[in-house]
Amino acid sequence: MIDKERETTMHHRTSAAILGAAALLATTALSAQAEDIVIGFATGQSGFMQAYDQPATEAALIRIEEINEAGGVLGRQLVPFFSDTKSDRAEGAKAGLEVIEAGADLVVVSCDYDFGAPAALMAEANGKVSFFLCAESVRAGIQGVGPHSFSASVLGAVQGATMAEWAHENLDARNFYVLLDTWTEYNKGICDGFDWRAPMLDGVEIVGRDTFVNDDASIAAQITRITNADPEPDAIMLCSMMPGVVSAIRQIRNAGIEIPILNGSGVDGSYWMDAVPELSEFYIPVQGSIYGDDPDPAVEEFNQRYEAKFGARPSSQYTYPGYVMIDVWAKAVERAGTTDAAAVVAELEKMDGEPTLFGPRTFTSELHHQNQARYHIVKVTDGQPAVVDSWTISEPVPMEALLQ
Amino acid sequence: MTEAPSVLARTFWTPLFLTMLLAAIAVLVWSFGSGTLQRTVVEMLIRVVLVVGIWIFVGNSGIISFGHVGFMCLGAYAAAWFTIPPMLKQITLRGLPDILLTNQFPFWPSAFAAAVLAAVFALLIGPILMRLAGIAASIATFAMLAVINTVYANWSSVTGGTSSIVGIPIRTDLWLALAAAAGAIVVAYAYAISRSGLALRAARDDAIAAQASGVHIERERLVAFVLSAFVCGIAGVLYAHFLGIVTPDAFFLGTTFIALSMLVVGGMYSLSGAVVGVVLISTIIQLLRWLERGVSVGDTTLAIPSGSQEIAIGIVMIVILVYRPAGLMGTAELTLPGQARAKSARAQPAE
Repeated sequence: MIDKERETTMHHRTSAAILGAAALLATTALSAQAEDIVIGFATGQSGFMQAYDQPATEAALIRIEEINEAGGVLGRQLVPFFSDTKSDRAEGAKAGLEVIEAGADLVVVSCDYDFGAPAALMAEANGKVSFFLCAESVRAGIQGVGPHSFSASVLGAVQGATMAEWAHENLDARNFYVLLDTWTEYNKGICDGFDWRAPMLDGVEIVGRDTFVNDDASIAAQITRITNADPEPDAIMLCSMMPGVVSAIRQIRNAGIEIPILNGSGVDGSYWMDAVPELSEFYIPVQGSIYGDDPDPAVEEFNQRYEAKFGARPSSQYTYPGYVMIDVWAKAVERAGTTDAAAVVAELEKMDGEPTLFGPRTFTSELHHQNQARYHIVKVTDGQPAVVDSWTISEPVPMEALLQ
Repeated sequence: MTEAPSVLARTFWTPLFLTMLLAAIAVLVWSFGSGTLQRTVVEMLIRVVLVVGIWIFVGNSGIISFGHVGFMCLGAYAAAWFTIPPMLKQITLRGLPDILLTNQFPFWPSAFAAAVLAAVFALLIGPILMRLAGIAASIATFAMLAVINTVYANWSSVTGGTSSIVGIPIRTDLWLALAAAAGAIVVAYAYAISRSGLALRAARDDAIAAQASGVHIERERLVAFVLSAFVCGIAGVLYAHFLGIVTPDAFFLGTTFIALSMLVVGGMYSLSGAVVGVVLISTIIQLLRWLERGVSVGDTTLAIPSGSQEIAIGIVMIVILVYRPAGLMGTAELTLPGQARAKSARAQPAE
């Protein structure tokens, strides 16, 4: 596994080089011709959000390059412009303003609602379209920013609902144990989605329910309650994320509980699996597979292109929304025939099952986010993740379940 | 014996100079600066309000307070409660009392009420804290900050927990921030030359002598504490209406340390020091930010790595404090050259 470490360092070095190149591009953007379309990235280029923002930004750059190679949008080239939020909210608002002043028609903001909102609100105040790179809260959009704001990812609740339906259908799971890590809104969103869907399914019973916090050193008490649950659970719906989720999974398995564990997309990637040797019966939903086995060969082509450009394969599925974002926005601009925000928003809202590399996307005038989406189900067996199925929930998650 | 000129006549140049300094910066960026630079200056002016607010207590009492950003938090959240449109509040802040849930109050009364809330909180908790002195008092103020932060981060139905509250109307522009900073300076100055301010400084320099002269130390400290909480509350209000978003972690350690660094670098016992510290540190941060973005020299772009700003600012602060341990201004104030001489001449015999 030393190789992987080397890979990661290489990845960082190359990424730094790419960002450097991007910065150069950015300086040229200032002197860019009027015909160029500027895409402003007010994202975390330093600080802790960088880990989330950078992969998706890189995917966006790949789509930008592809579009430019194919002749651009409306015959105009797309030019990225970067401003660092330093993973700070006040700086985020400034970064948003800075990219707008650089002439950005699309303002791309951080993955997380809380950290992206200041820049998105700035875009909203200036009548520009904003896109959250991969935020999965319903507030990343109309509800928390305004009518010109979108998210490129899928709502966290859809992940929980997907796992409920899929496990019910394919694992014959009827008795679920729900274990929620109350650390973030994202975790709560996953469990909200599960709690909306599971009770509607035939014969499903929630046999127990517990919470913990991400950095709890031990969840022994919760594990005892899982072991003693009556009737015995068929599966555990775990709503947690990095880094605490790894310890939680290890403790559950060490206690001899071998039933399937379901979680959201937040644990995608194989980088943490060394910590839970021989992990099996672990399931997550992903928008696309980074493991080289995506049912769509075009996704694997993307992975290889990404590796060629940035020196390492995508480390998790959160790379992909950046690609989708540029894709749908560029299509909307092409259809609207202008970069004018109102016209572009109107075109985006007409998208109903719009095909993208990572599944169909729908936007409406009520929701600028995905409340139903195709997910691939990744199963981990003996520490080896692989896609085993694809699933789309049978009905969209309703607004009431999202606004809990 | 000729009667010495009044304190006011001797020292009124200080607030005037400080206000003129800030006004000059504001007018300059308004005329020549980009929108981003204007925002940076607004942010700096809000910090002036905060640091001057902290100075009212710290500078006069000599007790370093780690808790004043908590008052900023109280002010900012109160401003949010008063001014967010009822429709939004009913979704995110369901636990608010009905009168807040169903109404949206105008900016000015809401700003005043929010600052009063911070002051009232200080008045309630102050009598306990003010009995302590030195490091014990500092630690107690830090505990107060931790309590405020924990309550606001977990009282979800009223504060939205750790999530952002959005929908606060954007009202803070360059001129409002400048007016508030000027106002804070005048209030701080007026307090410093008031009977209470002089008594508190006397107690700071020699508590026993001050007590022997009839100074009620706890009472004077409380006056300064409440007044500084009010000014810090105003800083919170301005911040909320500047960013349009409030979260509890915006009013915790990061802000506390940057505000205290500004105060310490400028000179903790000088009002001019408080203002100069904010201006200086903000300027350095902005310069480093530009360097991070890259500066074009001919055909090449020179840039320092992202994130080096934070390291550089730490080094700058260490260097300043090694050479000027009492801060840039020490205990001096900006004033007319003649006045400064007269003051030091008067101060001499006492030494």
